[in-house]
Order: sequence, then C-alpha cells, then structure tokens
Amino acid sequence: MKLNLPLVRLLVVKDWQLFQKQLATYVLAGIVALCFLGLAESWAFYVGSLMLLIVMVAAACFSISTSLVVERKEQTLSFVMSLPVSPLDFTISKLAGNLITFAVPFVILLGGTLATVLLTPLPDGLFVYALLIFAYILFAFAISLSVAMSVESEGWATFAMIGSMVLINPYIMALAQIPDIDQRTRVDAVVWTLPAVGILISLVVLSIAVLGATTWFHARKPAFN
Amino acid sequence: MNAELFLSASDPRPMYQQIVDQVTAKVMAGDWAAGEALPSIRELAAASRVSVITVRRAYDELERAGVIATRQGKGSVVAERDDLPAALMREELARQLAALLASAARLGLTRKELHRLLDQTADANPGAASASTTRTGR
Amino acid sequence: MSFAFSLNGVAKRYPHFELQDITLALPEGQVMGLVGVNGAGKTTLLRLITGIAAADAGEVRVLGHRLPAEQVAAKREIGFASEDMRLYRTQTLRWHMDLMQQIYPAWSEDYARELAKRFDLRTDQALGGCSHGQRVKALLLLCLARRPRLLLLDEPTTGLDPVARIEVLEALADVLRDAGRSVLFSSHNTHDVEQLADTITFLHKGRLVASADRNEFIDRWRRIVCQGALPSGLSAWPEIASARANGSLVEIKARAWNESLPARLAAEGLQVQRTDAMGLEDIFITAVRSGGAA
Repeated sequence: MKLNLPLVRLLVVKDWQLFQKQLATYVLAGIVALCFLGLAESWAFYVGSLMLLIVMVAAACFSISTSLVVERKEQTLSFVMSLPVSPLDFTISKLAGNLITFAVPFVILLGGTLATVLLTPLPDGLFVYALLIFAYILFAFAISLSVAMSVESEGWATFAMIGSMVLINPYIMALAQIPDIDQRTRVDAVVWTLPAVGILISLVVLSIAVLGATTWFHARKPAFN
Repeated sequence: MNAELFLSASDPRPMYQQIVDQVTAKVMAGDWAAGEALPSIRELAAASRVSVITVRRAYDELERAGVIATRQGKGSVVAERDDLPAALMREELARQLAALLASAARLGLTRKELHRLLDQTADANPGAASASTTRTGR
Repeated sequence: MSFAFSLNGVAKRYPHFELQDITLALPEGQVMGLVGVNGAGKTTLLRLITGIAAADAGEVRVLGHRLPAEQVAAKREIGFASEDMRLYRTQTLRWHMDLMQQIYPAWSEDYARELAKRFDLRTDQALGGCSHGQRVKALLLLCLARRPRLLLLDEPTTGLDPVARIEVLEALADVLRDAGRSVLFSSHNTHDVEQLADTITFLHKGRLVASADRNEFIDRWRRIVCQGALPSGLSAWPEIASARANGSLVEIKARAWNESLPARLAAEGLQVQRTDAMGLEDIFITAVRSGGAA
C-alpha cells in the first residue's frame, strides 16, 4: 500500500495547529517546575519534581485525548475519514502527530531537567535517575497511544492512560528498592550502573515495539470499518 | 436569457407540465422569439431547481407540440415559424371553443341560442368586440 | 454508459443491522435521491460508496475505482457530508477552507466565497459557536467548493429550518449545470429529494425496495376509489399493493396501473369512481407496508 505523504503531512500539521496553544502552556508550566528544582532546596525540589511529573503526564494524556478520543467523540473523525486518506495514512498521521506533539514538551523538559541537574548544586547522580523517570513516561505514553488507536471505547482509552500513568508511583518505589540506582542519586557524579542501563534500554525498546505492532496491525486494515 | 421558471410544488399540475405551460406562455407572449436558443436542459434545471429528467420530459413534450425544435448537439430553439404565437393562440382558442360547446350541450342549448349568447357577451364587452372586428378585416 | 458508482450484490453486517443484496448504479451526470426511514441503512450505504466502510460481500465501484482498495483515489473526487460529521469547534470556517484548498486541486476559492455569502456564513468565526444549520451549511460549502465529480450527502436537510433547507437545495441545484457531476443524497423525507432527483431509490430495513426514475413511479402508481363490495383475493393480484373497504367504499392502491384495470375491477363488481396519481411519500409507505417491490 502506498502512503499519501503530502496528506499525512497536512493531517499532522492540522493536529499541531489544534494543540499548539495548550502545548505552549505545558512547556511554560514545565519551565516553572524546573525553576523550583533549580533552587536546590528540599521543599522546592519536592514541589518542582511533583509539578514536572504532573506536567509531563498531562502533556502525554492531552495529546492522545485531543487527537484520538475527542476526535471520535466530537465526530470530527468522520470528517477526517472523508478526506483522501487510507487507514494506513490515517494511522501514520496520528502516530507521527502524537509523537511530535508529545516530543516537543518531552524533549524540552528532559533537556531542561538534565541541564538543571548538571548546572545547579543538585547532585549529578540525579541525571540517570531523571532519564529513568522520563523513559517510563515515554513507555506509558506508547502504551496509552496504542490502546487509544486500537479501541473505539473512550472508557478503555482513558483507563489505559490513567492506569499506565498512575503506575509511575510503584515504578518509583521499585527504583528505590534497587541500591545501585537509589544510592547513586545522592552522589554528585553521573554513574551508569547495569540495572539503570538495563531498565532504560528495556523501556525504550518496549515503547518502540508497542508502537510498531500497533502500526502494523492498522496498516493491514483495508477500510476504516 | 434568464433560465429561471417559476415552478411550485403546490401547483396541482406535474412539474414537467408547469414547464411546458410556462415555456409555451413565454413563446406566445413573444418573450422568446422564433429561432431563439432556449436554455440548455441542465441550465434550466439548475436555474429552476428541478431535476434534469423533468426538464427533458418537458422539452420532449414541447418538441412534439411543435413549440420548440431540437438540433442534434446544438440544443433547442424556439420553432422557426413566424405564425407560431398565433398558431399557439389559435390552438388555445380551439380548446376553449370545444369546452364552450361541451358546456352548451350540457345546458341543452341550440346552436342558434349559443350564437345569440356569444353576440350578447361581445356587445357587453365592447373592447373585446372591437378587437374581433379588426381581426375580421384581415 | 459510465457510472458514478455501481454496487453489485453488496452486503454489510453490523451486530444489530444488516444491509443485504444491494445492486444499484448511478449513471454519470444524474442525481439520485435515497429515501428511507431512520435506520433503513442509508448512512451505511453511503459509507460503503465512500470506501470508509468495506462491504462483506459484493463489489463496489466508484468513478472507475474499486473500493475500498482504491479509496484514496476515489475520495479525491468525492464530496461526502454526513449528518454525524462535525468540523473542528475551536477553528474557523476559514481554517477549514484553507485545509480543503491544500488537499483538493479543484477547490474554487471564488465559489467558496460566493457560497459563504449565499449561506450567510462568517468565515472568521470559530465553528463552536455556530447553530446546527450554520454547521451543516459550512460542511456543504466545503464539499461543494471542491467541485467533486460525485457528491454524497447524507441527510443534508435534516434538522434545518425552512429557510436554510431551501438554501441548501438551491446550492445543490447548481451541480445540475455540469453533466460530468453526479449526486447521491439521502433523506427520510421524499419532498426533499423528489424535486431534484432523476432517480429515486427506496431503502427499507437494509433492503432495496425500489429504484426507478421519478416519472416511472408516478406513472405506475394509482390510487383508485371504487364503490361496491371488496372481493376476496383482490390483494393477491400482482398489480394491487393495498386494498381496504369501509362499507361500500373501497380504496385500492395499484403498483402497476394500466388502462384495463377499471374494466377488470368492474368485472369483480367494483365501480371505479376516480383514479388519482399518488405522491412519492404515499408510494413509498404503501410499498413498504405491502412488503413487495414498488
């Protein structure tokens, strides 16, 4: 099947235009959170990291929800399906659109976080820890996006989003149980340990695999329904 | 040429008949002269907001009645007969005369009584009567 | 003759609904009105013709393309608007028009502006604040201004006030000027389709009840009022769709009128008092109730 690239690009631009205002708000809120982190006071660190998590989770959910769940609920989906697109074009555009709208706050805030860790009195050991947290958010985003693309029910899509995002709590607790990871966060040096690298790679590979499988599944559908 | 005819769904006549009647009326009145091109079927349909098939049927009827002529690939024109408006009016008169005779027959009037009634009516409407005198002179 | 679309033995099953054995074609340049009650399968049929839905059986061809495989090519030349279709609430009509302009090479900006004026639409207003009628007209504007070869409209006049309804039908009539463009539009109301449609198709409970040119329906069907006793077995006559009596007054609806019918009824002891042409709505309802073909 041939991809209608100009149209895929248009659809991605369309989704981007629909989100850009909210996206700017998220990035702004994220930067405020980073400022708190940068103060390197324990109360500010607590407020900042919590705020950063909230912003990242909200940005991930917002992108998926607006481009997939709301589109279905508000029946703009049938408008998009009437355009000269195949199910594959549509899937690719949704995937690319979501990845881009998610990548913008993700990359800015990840970069900001890492820079904050390295440039402020915060222990540099948090560098690897921050990467681990962001990797989990990426993974949760991939799962939520795949579910939202595959099910028609708003309930299941929301369940997947909330479920995968809330699980970051046990994930953080689990990280605290691994001495190689937990102890390094208090050291003022970037140290790569085997468990940390292992978890990081697993999460990234799993995210790519989940998105790949979803795309492959949708690419085989001859019609929308 | 403005292609819009005034058709109405509440008119008891079918749509195609309304078109036939209005085109005939326009030709009789001289709005559309002999040899003048008629709007195309699609143009008339779009302007009057009625289906193409309805206009086609009306044009077929008009052609059969000799009001219009269709040239292959060139569309339709008002039939090129100088006397067409008069001919159409004469046809109309013939229809009215037939109706008149039928009514007279139902009343049991003799031909003589009918003639007398006609003269009486003409005397009561001097305008119409003078018109008929000019016609007789021709 | 080339067809705007042709369906051959098409079936589509949903959990609570089934479209069965639809064989139907629309010659290019014609207008077809699709009439059926809510839930008759009109929307499903239109979705099959756009390629959005795939048929479980049968063949769907649109403007020479086989669907759903070639749906992208087909949809470039289709203007589809359905009742359950919404535009983006947060964006303006102008934004949507720009999107269409980028997608469809045949988009006419002049025609779009003319339509906006005729429809009394503001292009710089976010669509979220618009009334239902304005949204329907906006959607129609987006479909018409791309000048598609096949216009598919699902219930374009439903829920519109009388003024908006006439505006929509008038804009639809513009399409008649071009012999290369075809229209299929549905309604649960025969009045909307009968004036513009060349062919009328009746759909009921997922089945094709009848499809014929409008005049054919009008010519074939008659309501016959008679005096006498209703003979038993009259409803078994193939040309009779319905017959009912109230005392000596008998009303018959014939689906295949012919000049010999009054004489044959007289032979059964029925004196025909009047025969009237029937409206399409009456024809549709009688056909559906009698269960037979129209």
